[in-house]
Amino acid sequence: MATGLQMEERVPENLKKKLALAVRSIQWSYAIFWSISARQPGVLEWGDGYYNGDIKTRKTIQALELNADQLGLQRSEQLRELYDSLSAGEASPQSRRPSVALSPEDLSDTEWYYLVCMSFVFNIGQGLPGRTLANGEPIWLRNAHFADSKVFSRSLLAKSASIQTVVCFPFLGGVIELGVTDLVLEDPSLIQHVKTSFLEIPHPIISKKSAGAGNTRNDKNPACAVLDQDILDTKLVPHVQGEELDMVSPNNSSNGFEPNQPAEDSFLVEGMNGGASQVQSWQFMDEEFSNCVHHSMNSSDCISQTFVEPENDVSVPKGEQVNDHCLQDLQECNHTKMCFLDVRSNDLHYQSVLSSLLKSSHQLILGPYFRNYQRESSFVSWNKKGLAHCQNPGGETPQKLLKKVLFVVPRMHVGDLFDSPEDNGIKDVVWRPEADEIGMSNALAERGQKEKLNERFFTLKSMVPSISKDDKLSILDDAIEYLKELERRVGELESGRELTEVEARTKGKSQDSVERTSDNYGNNKTNNIKKPLINKRKACDIDETEPERNRVVPKEGSTDNVIVSMTNREVLIQMRCPWREGVLLEIMDAISNLQLDCHSVQSSTVEGTLSLNIKSKFKGSVVASAGMIKQALQRFTRKC
Amino acid sequence: MEHPSQDSLLKHPNSITYESPYPLYALAISHSPHRVAVGSFLETFNNRVDVLSFDPETLTLKPQLPALSFDHPYPPTKLMFHPSTSSPNLLASSGDFLRLWDLRDHSAEPLSVLNNSKSSEFCAPLTSFDWNDVEPRRLGTSSIDTTCTIWDVERGVVETQLIAHDKEVYDIAWGEARVFSSVSADGSVRIFDLRDKEHSTIIYESPQPDTPLLRLAWNKQDLRYMATILMDSNKVVILDIRAPTMPVAELERHAASVNAISWAPQSSRHICSAGDDTQALIWELPTVAGPNGIDPMSVYSAGSEINQLQWSAAVPDWIAVAFSNKMQLLKV
Repeated sequence: MATGLQMEERVPENLKKKLALAVRSIQWSYAIFWSISARQPGVLEWGDGYYNGDIKTRKTIQALELNADQLGLQRSEQLRELYDSLSAGEASPQSRRPSVALSPEDLSDTEWYYLVCMSFVFNIGQGLPGRTLANGEPIWLRNAHFADSKVFSRSLLAKSASIQTVVCFPFLGGVIELGVTDLVLEDPSLIQHVKTSFLEIPHPIISKKSAGAGNTRNDKNPACAVLDQDILDTKLVPHVQGEELDMVSPNNSSNGFEPNQPAEDSFLVEGMNGGASQVQSWQFMDEEFSNCVHHSMNSSDCISQTFVEPENDVSVPKGEQVNDHCLQDLQECNHTKMCFLDVRSNDLHYQSVLSSLLKSSHQLILGPYFRNYQRESSFVSWNKKGLAHCQNPGGETPQKLLKKVLFVVPRMHVGDLFDSPEDNGIKDVVWRPEADEIGMSNALAERGQKEKLNERFFTLKSMVPSISKDDKLSILDDAIEYLKELERRVGELESGRELTEVEARTKGKSQDSVERTSDNYGNNKTNNIKKPLINKRKACDIDETEPERNRVVPKEGSTDNVIVSMTNREVLIQMRCPWREGVLLEIMDAISNLQLDCHSVQSSTVEGTLSLNIKSKFKGSVVASAGMIKQALQRFTRKC
Repeated sequence: MEHPSQDSLLKHPNSITYESPYPLYALAISHSPHRVAVGSFLETFNNRVDVLSFDPETLTLKPQLPALSFDHPYPPTKLMFHPSTSSPNLLASSGDFLRLWDLRDHSAEPLSVLNNSKSSEFCAPLTSFDWNDVEPRRLGTSSIDTTCTIWDVERGVVETQLIAHDKEVYDIAWGEARVFSSVSADGSVRIFDLRDKEHSTIIYESPQPDTPLLRLAWNKQDLRYMATILMDSNKVVILDIRAPTMPVAELERHAASVNAISWAPQSSRHICSAGDDTQALIWELPTVAGPNGIDPMSVYSAGSEINQLQWSAAVPDWIAVAFSNKMQLLKV
């Protein structure tokens, strides 16, 4: 090398500190010093580095308070240790783990990027650091995460870490690389500033900014979560056989760059495909291979985990194994001169390093099941066109059965109705003292009671118009609505009219009708006695639709408001009478006393006149004549 | 891609159909021997639970011989086998009460009828329950009386009862031994820790106030995630318990309302949902959702609205669905 540096001195002392000061003063994410490899002359490898990006978790238990300085250095060292331990291979998988302060789960995406960079080596003239060294000129790369991988071999990695700007410049026979998650315009003075202020002076300046604060990653903001979808869209279901793999699609959150996406995606797929077939022993059943998995664990951020942290240490040994494998691959790849292959191997590198390092509990376990899905699975790949074909039962109540299970079935059980409490005052949980005895009870014994209740509900339902559903809740709801409506109407009429008030009839109500009233609507009745009544205003003008019926023509002039038609045992009653509270109940009772069983009641109140259409049937063998029915009902029309 | 008409086939290499004389709703699958319990849905007192035996090797699913089926008062709102393999014969059902059944060779014996109400001989109706698989003696029920009741089913006593919500509680799911979550007509998802019964944490509230949340599924492979469905909504809402109030994803590819959800028992990233559009969709959750939403990975179309879905750890490569009077096991 032209630099003529001794290998032993390739990493200057105190460099880490200098890097630290430099990168922190400009608030970038990391600084790496690439130096000439001692083992392989002509190749740049990791010399030293300082990490200044955001941090996911600090696991270390610290006796002393460390200042930002020390913390940053410590973190960088821990990252290095972690890398060493992960790449140490399977030599002693169990024993070396405890010495590492960090585990892969603790890292943020940017830290991953930083960590994975440690595994890279560059030929002089290759890659960003290699070219920088060869040309002796700084390189300023913006949009690093979208750069062609020939230019910037770590672009996919950068994408996952949201690294957008990378700068390399020659320094002390090696190359200093700086990176940041922001887009920074080219600024030679910045390089100069870094060089002169920090790297080349012996006594560092104290930095003002504490580590980790500067570089906020975007993925803390869920709204920014775009991207990546395209990758995932590309037909999942890998046909992977043999070893399950955890393919890693860049799990980043860079935003605002959608236009570039398709190219990236296809590139990724192609790359992975190529890489896989080249090195790994995966088999593909067809060309549909696409990438699936992504490591969620590390994409997440610092939100504290309230409850549970899934335990996942199980997979470590496997991860290491793969790791070794791929590090080895990496070596091979780097010796390859073909740029074409490099592209792929870098992707593979990216993918396999990450997947192995990251390896945690979630694997694409479905892979084996899905691999033959066309033959075995009941499921077929989803596509948008499928939507058009699928039946969409229109008009039906959505979630019909589910709603019945949740809303209706519970009401079937109980005689008592459970109203949802509206006491919104108490929000927090209170608990009742422990109950040690359990009530074993026989639901059957209650059935008699329930049946009675059901019967009453049925009656109520028959009295209230516009009942849509059969369940008790709806019946009550409609009844309540109806009552409200009626009350409102009463109010209107009371305030608006100047007619003579008429006393309610307080006597002559049939006693048996009172007895037959159940509690459910008893209240209505007890309140109604003194309410004023409304004069009837309209004469009957109900159309008769079935002329063949045995029709009883009303004879009395002004009270001819009852029409009774009989067809076999079916009785149709149409009547009008002045409305007052409880009158409907009395009518129903009267009808019931005539051994008539109502199966449909329509009622409406217009200007104080109650119009009723009742369809009923004789329930007993005794059949009242139409005249009797009429007579029985006419008393209501006269009441005023 | 074509799929044979479901009506004509009772058995197909990748799906097995059981046709019942009644509409079906509740479903449960046991560990070995693999059995499937199906509950009828008849809006009357008399309902039935049938126990079928399932052999994944020979792909047979038939009524157990000798026939094992029993009357159930009212439709069971949920059925579930004991979560541990040690008690494969214990079946629980919810409805008017929480009931435990011992499935014997020839009959199903009611073991206990558990009533959570001290004051009344009636139990507040139960909408659902979940058996704690970490601590199988613990079982939680949800009720329309706004409470959740935690049972010690071995002793047959109430461990605790919490007023969990402002309105009816529709579903309950365990996370860990002492942590459970519930959804309610009040539109909230809340998490409870039995060690601190004074407080609950609201994880999510439906966007329109008081849109009931009907079902809840907690991802047992990655407890940070849970899923819920709303009334009259085609969405499956995925929640991250670390980020309350804001769902991490909304899966919106159902063409009609969703009726059931179930996380994959063997993967933290997969969830299946089924709905009125007759489809069961398997989703793979990406790390980051794209601007156009998340597409499902694969789809199965049933003959009619799918009302029930179980992706049981007992048979992880089969998904059980119920629609009209059929129960179908689908190869994943």
